[in-house]
Amino acid sequence: MTPSAPAAAVSRPSAPRLSARRRGRWGTAAPYLFVLPAVLLFAGFKLYPIAWSFLLSLHRTVGGTETFVGADNYLRLADDPLFWTALRNTGVILVVQVPLMLALATGLAVALDSTLLRGRPVFRLGFFLPMVTGLVAYGIVFSVLLNEEYGLVNWLLGLVGIDPVPWLTEGLWARISLGLALTWHYTGYNAVILLARLQTIPRELYDAAAVDGAGALGAFRHVTLPGLRPALLLTTVLSTIGTLQLFDEPYVLTGGGPDNATLTIGVYLYQNAFKYFDFGYASAVAYALTVLVGVLGLIQFRLLGEKS
Amino acid sequence: MTDQQSGRQPGRRQVLRGGGALAAAGLGGLGLTGLTTLTGCSGSGDTGAGGSGAAGDPRKGKITVWSWQGPAAELKALIPDFNKKYPDIQVTVEDIGNPAIWDKITTGLAAGGQGLADVLHIGVDYLPGYVERFPGGLADLAPLGATAHKDAFAAGLWQTVSPDGKRVDALPWEANSAGFYYRHDLFERAGVDVAALQTWDETIEAGKQLKARTGAHLLGIDKPASQPDAANFFQMLLQLQGAFYFDLEGRVTLDSPEAVRAMTLIKTMNDAGLVSNLAGGWNALMSSLKKGTAAVLPWPTWFGGIIEEQVPEEAGKWRVRLPPAVRRGGPTAATVNSTHLAVAGSSKQQAAAWSFVEFALTRPASQVRIYRGKGIAPALLKAYDDSVFHEPSAFFGGQRKGEIFLGALKAPGSAVNYTADYARALKLVTDAQSKVLLKGADPAKVLGEAASELARQTGRKNVR
Repeated sequence: MTPSAPAAAVSRPSAPRLSARRRGRWGTAAPYLFVLPAVLLFAGFKLYPIAWSFLLSLHRTVGGTETFVGADNYLRLADDPLFWTALRNTGVILVVQVPLMLALATGLAVALDSTLLRGRPVFRLGFFLPMVTGLVAYGIVFSVLLNEEYGLVNWLLGLVGIDPVPWLTEGLWARISLGLALTWHYTGYNAVILLARLQTIPRELYDAAAVDGAGALGAFRHVTLPGLRPALLLTTVLSTIGTLQLFDEPYVLTGGGPDNATLTIGVYLYQNAFKYFDFGYASAVAYALTVLVGVLGLIQFRLLGEKS
Repeated sequence: MTDQQSGRQPGRRQVLRGGGALAAAGLGGLGLTGLTTLTGCSGSGDTGAGGSGAAGDPRKGKITVWSWQGPAAELKALIPDFNKKYPDIQVTVEDIGNPAIWDKITTGLAAGGQGLADVLHIGVDYLPGYVERFPGGLADLAPLGATAHKDAFAAGLWQTVSPDGKRVDALPWEANSAGFYYRHDLFERAGVDVAALQTWDETIEAGKQLKARTGAHLLGIDKPASQPDAANFFQMLLQLQGAFYFDLEGRVTLDSPEAVRAMTLIKTMNDAGLVSNLAGGWNALMSSLKKGTAAVLPWPTWFGGIIEEQVPEEAGKWRVRLPPAVRRGGPTAATVNSTHLAVAGSSKQQAAAWSFVEFALTRPASQVRIYRGKGIAPALLKAYDDSVFHEPSAFFGGQRKGEIFLGALKAPGSAVNYTADYARALKLVTDAQSKVLLKGADPAKVLGEAASELARQTGRKNVR
């Protein structure tokens, strides 16, 4: 930059050139200045902790002092039955609950977009409202509703002669309850994302499909679904990340139990860090989780992303 | 920030709002912020920042106290008396709630003492972990004058707060003995004389008779272990045999014959249909108490106050005794838990904080007042001279409840080594218990697995 300064002084009389040059000088610095606050915040609150937690994952706290142990925490991870249990539980939710929820959300989005439906804003709001509810609040409400002996759900089932269901106290049922709670909370949210995309699909495509003789089902398969592709990718990736990091619901609803049936990686990590004070190991779990999220996200982008 | 808006991730707002518990949820993937920020700080805390507090003036200052529910209310009620003696110390008691307080203290200690209160109420299950994992996180009370009260507390408790006999981590407050609260009216209807029950085997037989004649369960356990205290009953049966999860050298004794015996008793009760399910933790316990689902509440000293508070209309129907022995003629007394007041190492007002701790815990009048309020049993032996511990209780059918538990407190007991790995042990124990109660697993087998796993996780030796 410095060599251009005397040149600017010489060419002072020419106003247009000056402004062009000034724009040139500021033009290169300005964008950096504008992004600087964000970069500083990112470095301070994200990059630094991310790097520090990696260092931490190579240490073990023994008697209050951090001892460097290299890859020990990662080796321990590979050999930890509870970590694999948590991974398996998370995998089950990912394979069973996420597709079901997204299918439901797609159906809901189409229904909410239908001109046949009266009072659409009310329904849209109604389905989105669960998302506004605090995670812990709805977790507690579900745990009260689903209580085996004193819950409303079992009481209602009892009225029609069905025996009490061990919603939260038996492994399989606890997983089902967790899936129900998640579906209740997030379907509307995903439906809204899908709905937004749905409304950008040009009507002409439907008209054209109708002219070509496509019925409602045909139009859905050949117009709606391809049109929703980017939004489906987005909701799939977001739900995958959300599922992998799942914490609040199992923490409040079941505490990861019974007997670790609903233990997720998030809950396991929390236990290690905040119950056992084993920050090094918890950091290793966090890094394993990060790698997993990255790999799964990449695969989904490859499979569902735009085909050039 | 779109990466934060994922379907189920709590996102930054809640991480900031919720602190510790929620912070952990924000990690991993694209948003590692939460946990890593906190863990990042623990490193700097370990490098000496923990003990950066200052003594300050013992008669002047502004201090904050963290406690929970009942104890917090009682500490609050103590402030006017305290201010008569120390008019220039301004005390604020905050009810953090239990178990929320443990997360809050943990994150504070991990952050090198940032944001901690001056005085912290800490249970015996957490104290050794805090002391070992966060050196300097709690102030040494010995230089402030704590050692003078060495012999004032119930046996064994000084060893808990001062393992090496020099450094004092905290001062004992509550000393809770194993208790056995029961519905006298139900047992009477079943034709059982509870006072005559010598062992738990006899109690199980009595429970069968009770179930057949009244429909009530013998007792309740949180079978899926929705809260860690689901293992309280198991732990009590263990302590009644002088055993625990660790021995005094810190070795794992989770699958000792005593532990297997305790778990087998629980399995026998469960298989006979005598155990109601308290899934859901505290709320379920309170509902069960109000509905009268179970006739026995095998809870320690402090629970008597809860019963009186929750079901006042059942006055006269309740009785209390010490639990039956596990082996005939064996001990019936055990100090199953205690709580303590500690001073934060980061506090700038350590001397003033100590003045409050000393006032609350070593002055008999303070402890008597607290006992009258919420039935919280003091570790301070001199407090028991007061008549309140020797009055007959109308609620408990004229029994002298205070004397019953004082007897337990004075009985010779074995020291209990919680170690810094108590939380891990407890988790494995509750999992093992859930397997036994929900899937009918074999006690010896699940405890053996839990013991090996605990040894593997902590690097401790497993002795059988």
